[in-house]
Amino acid sequence: MDQFGDYKTEGFFDEAVEEEPNTMRSGYRETAKFFAQLTDQRMRASIRSLERTFLKAGVTFTVYSDGQGTERIFPFDPFPRIIPANEWDVIDRGLRQRIKALNMFLTDVYSERAILKDGIVPAELIKTSKHNRAEFAGLKVPHDTYIHICGTDLIRDDQGTYCVLEDNGRCPSGVSYMLENRLAMKRTFPELYRDMRVEPVRNYPKELLKMLNSVAPHQKDNPVCVVLTPGQYNSAYFEHTFLAQQMGIEIVEGRDLTVDNERVYMHTTQGLVQVDVIYRRIDDEFLDPHFFKRDSILGVPDLMKAYRAGNVMLVNAVGTGVADDKATYSYVPDMIRYYLSEEPILPNIETFLGSREDDLKYMLENIDKIVIKAVDEAGGYGMLIGPASTKAEQEDFRVKVKANPRGFIGQPVISLSRHPTFCNGKLEGRHIDLRPYVLTGSETVVVPGGLTRVALKKGSLVVNSSQGGGSKDTWVLRGKDSKEQPS
Amino acid sequence: MLSRVAENLFWMSRHIERADNLARLVSAHQSELLDATSAPSEERHKWHPLLEVTQMGDEKSKEGVVSYMVSSEKNPDSVLNCVFHGRENARAVRDQISEEMWLELNALWLNLKAIRPTQRNRHDRICELVVQSSMKFRGIINTSLPRTDVWAFVQLGEYLERADKTSRIVDLPHFLPKNEAKSAWNTMLRASSATAEHRQRFKGEVNATSVSTLLLFSTTFPRSVRFGVNRVSELLHTISGTRQGDYLNEAERAAGALLARLNYSAVEETTEMGLHEYIDSIQVDLNRIGFALGQRYFLLRKEAPETNAENYVTSRMQAQVRMQQQQEEEQQQQQQ
Repeated sequence: MDQFGDYKTEGFFDEAVEEEPNTMRSGYRETAKFFAQLTDQRMRASIRSLERTFLKAGVTFTVYSDGQGTERIFPFDPFPRIIPANEWDVIDRGLRQRIKALNMFLTDVYSERAILKDGIVPAELIKTSKHNRAEFAGLKVPHDTYIHICGTDLIRDDQGTYCVLEDNGRCPSGVSYMLENRLAMKRTFPELYRDMRVEPVRNYPKELLKMLNSVAPHQKDNPVCVVLTPGQYNSAYFEHTFLAQQMGIEIVEGRDLTVDNERVYMHTTQGLVQVDVIYRRIDDEFLDPHFFKRDSILGVPDLMKAYRAGNVMLVNAVGTGVADDKATYSYVPDMIRYYLSEEPILPNIETFLGSREDDLKYMLENIDKIVIKAVDEAGGYGMLIGPASTKAEQEDFRVKVKANPRGFIGQPVISLSRHPTFCNGKLEGRHIDLRPYVLTGSETVVVPGGLTRVALKKGSLVVNSSQGGGSKDTWVLRGKDSKEQPS
Repeated sequence: MLSRVAENLFWMSRHIERADNLARLVSAHQSELLDATSAPSEERHKWHPLLEVTQMGDEKSKEGVVSYMVSSEKNPDSVLNCVFHGRENARAVRDQISEEMWLELNALWLNLKAIRPTQRNRHDRICELVVQSSMKFRGIINTSLPRTDVWAFVQLGEYLERADKTSRIVDLPHFLPKNEAKSAWNTMLRASSATAEHRQRFKGEVNATSVSTLLLFSTTFPRSVRFGVNRVSELLHTISGTRQGDYLNEAERAAGALLARLNYSAVEETTEMGLHEYIDSIQVDLNRIGFALGQRYFLLRKEAPETNAENYVTSRMQAQVRMQQQQEEEQQQQQQ
């Protein structure tokens, strides 16, 4: 069946179809042909089987609104996003360059502060960042790595250029969907997957554990690593248990841990067991109620004492939020030039800072044309998309921005690239982004693939799962010289 | 194993066993009442002993005893609430149990929720579903769970609860007028799936002695108190690696002591002491085992230590509910 029918790119950059002449881009021809030769019946059966796979595997997120904490599956689109080897090569190099600069920046900010003294990044900006943890200045972390797990959000603009939208260096989520999406696709369309020669992603848990082991305090052999979750009512709880299970390590809650003599222990039926590395899926402020003075039961009292004493490593390290601040983001290209003497491989989106007088003026005058974002929010919250907003919403943001200019940035509306997506049995263009995952311990590993999120609502630019987004499997194709290996 | 994981496994199993026993008791009593000759106006009086024997106290609402025991949201130990809590415990340790175990509890909960409050025979239907599903659940455990500590804690919850409930069921006649004791024996046997076994062993004559012999002291009948305590003692020793007859902790000591009592007391002892008093003393011992077990394996430092065994069960559950609510609130703030 011809699902492409009267498929239109409507002036957007389309991942699969070139507008002029109306042909398929590299990598998409075979896939389009494959879906075209499937009968309607097989397609429907495939979609049902995919959904069953996800539900059975418990690949769900929690919806709180009904009081029972209902579990839903994250909507999935079977048409894979395909990235040719030469394109991925650019992304790979760009991500490595960026994470290197970000970790050097964090090491610098929490020690010498050279980049601030040299006036590259304004000291005021760092001082006023909500997630700046100056209390931890001078603390040496293994391999000078602060951001061990980075989930950089990439988008493609109307020219098809990959740009960095956000760095997500605190507790990025979504990697379990990348892994489960792949399993489901391999199970449902094995013949297509085989023919396309796709780079495998299944090594992620192994690489993650290797990284966790490599950052253990005192370079301990066989360290005890755990995943720290806020608990079973967290929307990403599935992911936390999934990763713990895949790595074969314990998943713990704050109340399972106890600190004694600046060491962290978990409470087991056999007694106390010392913990060396904590992959925490809890934000800084919730880690230690004694230290952060928050009445939180998610954290562990005195955990910061053990961390400061160097007896336990937290992944990601404390204080990465200062690099994750959306205002700091705008200086990452300068960091790359400053620390590495290189030009950025992946460009930023043009960003206006509320803290700069001219920028602020521009932001307020053009609030109906641009995107306004709070510097310390994530998940699609605290954001105004000018052209899609009401007058009242604009006024609301205008007040907020004026009250706290440092707390907001502005960016032009980027018409994210579109991708063919199954909508009622036919393919239509929907906007997408890409979140690849970068692991850094003693060395950096970029997993060839990532989570492609798709805004399922027609015309919508918001891809977050909390706002009606879905996902696709992301297929990075093997290059000509890559080794042939079954996956 | 994490203490919290052990605790959830234990309580998952215990909650389901509790729901099962309660549902059995209600169904059996219901069915005995059908044969009774008394007027419907006395129905309330007929049900009251069930509240006494399960220690649910005076039911305060107007919804009626059956509804209170089976479906009430206000009663923390109603059949529905037990299933709900069991499922929540299972959810917390989903990565530790087999997929089929979770699916069964989840399906049970969804099926129970699908029964409309207005449906006729609603309570019969709930009890039937719970009894069937819990048997299936035990079967799944037996065929899918590796014999590790995970299994041991699941089994502990099952046998400790069953020993407790069977002993309470045997106490039923104490709360009835003398002339109704006979119908109670039938209820007891039916609730414990012991009718056939009793018929074979005692050839039809049902009396206090025969029922006590079977439900309290049988070494072969899997719902008897002695059978359950024997399993509890074995499991505790397996977990700590201590040999039977010796003990490393208070839970093992208490279980061993109770087992010895059951092993060496004759049914005559119950008549001398009075059946009700004898059962009371067994329940004190069972509580002691549960309390010591929690102290040894579950208690986390951050929580204030519990002070007495009787309050232990209730206060732990309340603490869990409080903790869950607080967690839910905080987690709303945790989204990246």
